[in-house]
Amino acid sequence: VIAAIVLVPAVVGLALMIGRRLVSGRLAAGVGAGAMTVSLVLSTVVWDGRDGISGEIDESWIEPLGARLHVGVTAVSWPFLLMTAFIGLLCCLWLLADDTSPALVGLVLVISASSMGVFTALDLLLFFVFFELALIPMWFVIAWWAGPSTGAGSGSEAKRAATRFLLFTVGGSALLLVGIAIIGLDGGTLQVFDAGTASLAAAVLVSLAFAVKTPVVPLHTWLPDAHSAAPTVGSVLLAAVFLKLGTYGLILFTPVLGRFDDVAPYLAIAGAVGIVWSGFACYVQDDLKRLVAYSSIGHMGFVVLAISTQSDIGLAAAVFGSVAHGLVTGLLFFSAGSLKDRFGTASITAIGRGLYSRTPWLAVIFVIAAVASLGLPGLAGFWGELLSLRAAYEVGDVLTKPVAWTGLGLALLGIALTTAYFVRAIRLLAQGEPDPQDADRDLGRREIVVMGALVVAIVVLGLVPQLVLDLYEPTYYSVAR
Amino acid sequence: MTIPIDWTVAGPATIVMAGALIALLVDAFYSRRTWLGSELPSAIALVVATIELFRADGPQYSFALSLVVLIGTLFVVVASTVMNFENAMPPGEYHFLLLSAAAGALLMVTARDLVTLIVALELLSLPSIALVGLRQGDRGAIRSAWTFFLASVVSTAITLMGISLLYGVAGSLDYAVVRAALVAPAVPDGVVSVAVVLTVVGLLFKLGAVPFHVWIPDAYGGASVMVAGFLSAVSKAAALGAVLVLLAVALPSAQDTWRPVVAVVAALTMTIGNIGALRQDDAIGLLAWSSIAQAGFLLAPAVAIGTGDGLTAPVQYLAVYALANLVAFAALAVVLRLRGSTRPDDMRGLARTDPWMGIPLVFAALTLAGFPPAVIGLVTKFVVIRPVVEADHVWLAVVMGVNIMLGLAYYLRLVVTLCDRPVGEPYVSPSPPFSVRIAKTSVLLGTVTLIVLSAWPDLLLTHLP
Repeated sequence: VIAAIVLVPAVVGLALMIGRRLVSGRLAAGVGAGAMTVSLVLSTVVWDGRDGISGEIDESWIEPLGARLHVGVTAVSWPFLLMTAFIGLLCCLWLLADDTSPALVGLVLVISASSMGVFTALDLLLFFVFFELALIPMWFVIAWWAGPSTGAGSGSEAKRAATRFLLFTVGGSALLLVGIAIIGLDGGTLQVFDAGTASLAAAVLVSLAFAVKTPVVPLHTWLPDAHSAAPTVGSVLLAAVFLKLGTYGLILFTPVLGRFDDVAPYLAIAGAVGIVWSGFACYVQDDLKRLVAYSSIGHMGFVVLAISTQSDIGLAAAVFGSVAHGLVTGLLFFSAGSLKDRFGTASITAIGRGLYSRTPWLAVIFVIAAVASLGLPGLAGFWGELLSLRAAYEVGDVLTKPVAWTGLGLALLGIALTTAYFVRAIRLLAQGEPDPQDADRDLGRREIVVMGALVVAIVVLGLVPQLVLDLYEPTYYSVAR
Repeated sequence: MTIPIDWTVAGPATIVMAGALIALLVDAFYSRRTWLGSELPSAIALVVATIELFRADGPQYSFALSLVVLIGTLFVVVASTVMNFENAMPPGEYHFLLLSAAAGALLMVTARDLVTLIVALELLSLPSIALVGLRQGDRGAIRSAWTFFLASVVSTAITLMGISLLYGVAGSLDYAVVRAALVAPAVPDGVVSVAVVLTVVGLLFKLGAVPFHVWIPDAYGGASVMVAGFLSAVSKAAALGAVLVLLAVALPSAQDTWRPVVAVVAALTMTIGNIGALRQDDAIGLLAWSSIAQAGFLLAPAVAIGTGDGLTAPVQYLAVYALANLVAFAALAVVLRLRGSTRPDDMRGLARTDPWMGIPLVFAALTLAGFPPAVIGLVTKFVVIRPVVEADHVWLAVVMGVNIMLGLAYYLRLVVTLCDRPVGEPYVSPSPPFSVRIAKTSVLLGTVTLIVLSAWPDLLLTHLP
């Protein structure tokens, strides 16, 4: 079943790329949406309880290295898998338009498929193969389908942004490869659940690799340009899925990194600094896509802080925070993309004030996304941040109290900043005297479907966080209820 | 006096040498208008030598390295058909020199004696130099051949000096005796160190390792494309094999001397090679510099010769590297023949206008970069990193990781150029369809092999030593 989850979109995606002259953009996107629906349904069906591994496949692959074709869904990876399939489906629906290039749909499918491969892989080398597989398709998505040429959108600049993104991530993942080699030699196996603990070098290398991908300040410099240059679906996939490869990798690898304890304080502080840093950076942004991109760094900071506590509650916070960020930032990028489609730019000043009266639905959705992102209770963004703070407050077994509480303080400051910059964005865009423009046009049907689905998901997760939290220990029912 | 000859070892080389002579004679007695007259006996000789290799069942590593040499040469011979009817290329001499060099390469990887090593080294080098300068009326090629010749002579001289010192220390030229003598040498350690380093230097030159790498871009650029492919795959295989066997069989007790040398040289080689490749526009120049970088990856696991995987890993890496590089060079040879240039502007959109050449080139580049979907490239990168880590050279492993990133930067540029939208109608010269088709077939076969290996890396990793 898991093979089908990954292979169906991959094969359809390849077919669309090869047969790109034979199909229209609308048909291609329809086929893509069909393939992603299959994946989504199968990912739901494959689940059989949080104890053990669902849908496990374990075939021999490369005997001499001890690498196996070992995939399966665990309680940690299932939410990620569902989220990826869901976002991939929405991206295909978003592309249901006449001017879509079928090759773009194909690339989106391949990227989604390999990300789902990452989330299901239970062999370190297989994990790495999937981890790398999505990168070159992503390069093409960013460089060739970059948005209209304002700011960091134009051809050569998009290429530069794409190349920087690729080199940063590959630099990180090359270190990951070395780290995997060390883990394999120290632990004697490449299977995630059998691997023994590895040396300090492995912990440093692996943490660095995922810190680039997540990204953790100061390794984040590839992110804003790549996100703002990419087309809407590219930004959505980057933010909702790609960044999760980093956090999921960190969650997956920490148990086998025996010396992760020595790295954790640095990660925790870097994550917390990232929260504050992104708050300041966002406050001065005029480009809406860049603003959302920087805000991602902040949200990932919460996740990294939670992971570095290594406690049960930290794990729940990390998974919940990642999934919620995927949905919320997906929605933010979709609405920013809608604005960019209309006005040809994502500049807040150029779009002008008073969207409430100019394009009511779009404004409402943007505001929902923004308040979800700043952590309004009742929406998905809230629980991830709350649990992260709780995890930092409880310190955990790995961090020391000064470190954890410094992180906590910085994170609290960051929350205030986040509120400030999102309120500023809402004030500058949604409220105020309407400033009508020719391009004012409310949501079309396809936009309503995509964004509506995300809003529903965000509200449901916000009101019923147990859906995810029940996957972990029941001890924090008290927190969630 | 009789000299004992181990035919299980010398058999394939002898057959290849015979094939070289036949190819030359065929060309001498029949019209030199046709390429196939020399190509057929060469190809047959190589196939027979491969069969003999399988039958004889020699020592493990020599077997694998010889196999790489034979298959690589066969690939070069078949793909060289693309040069059919090029008046400047004399077919008889070409095949004779090619097979002589291959015989030298075979002897080099099987050598267990320092004199044999030197003779084999010269048997490989001199025909290679002639091959570089073979294209008639091409002054650039002659100049490249001169550079190659001078560098080669100097490095051989250095190796000879090292060998004479080793002889002085050990009193013998046989690997086994040298090994025993170095356990408790009667001379100061300094002498042993100098002897060992000097001996290895000459072989590093053939491998194209820094600081002996400058001849490579020059020679590859001046030679015809398939000769460059031969140098990058077969010649490098021979040099690597000789270094590995020498270090593992003759000099393990001098490990403390050569290990840091090897590690530093490997790190410098891959870094400088990659930086050089970043500056290249032309696809052939790019491959030339990248093959320097790859030599670093080949050499790096040698630091772990003492710990087990040190011999297996580079041989497996070599097999994949050689195949991918040959595919790339052969595809470029075809492109050069059809379009007259391998500059980026002329290659733009090749994967769209001519997918049967463009896509193999893309796949070969990804294999060399070690990037999925070319899983086999990635797996072999992992294979060479593993022993380096095992030998506690984590810093070297990190340098390798950084270089994987650097490498991707320029391979990606090539891939993007190939996949981009073509600018206008490309110029395609009318060429003899038959010979180009043979070369194209060899490219496709090579690519299919790479794809199959990507799906089942096990095929390579369990069956090669």
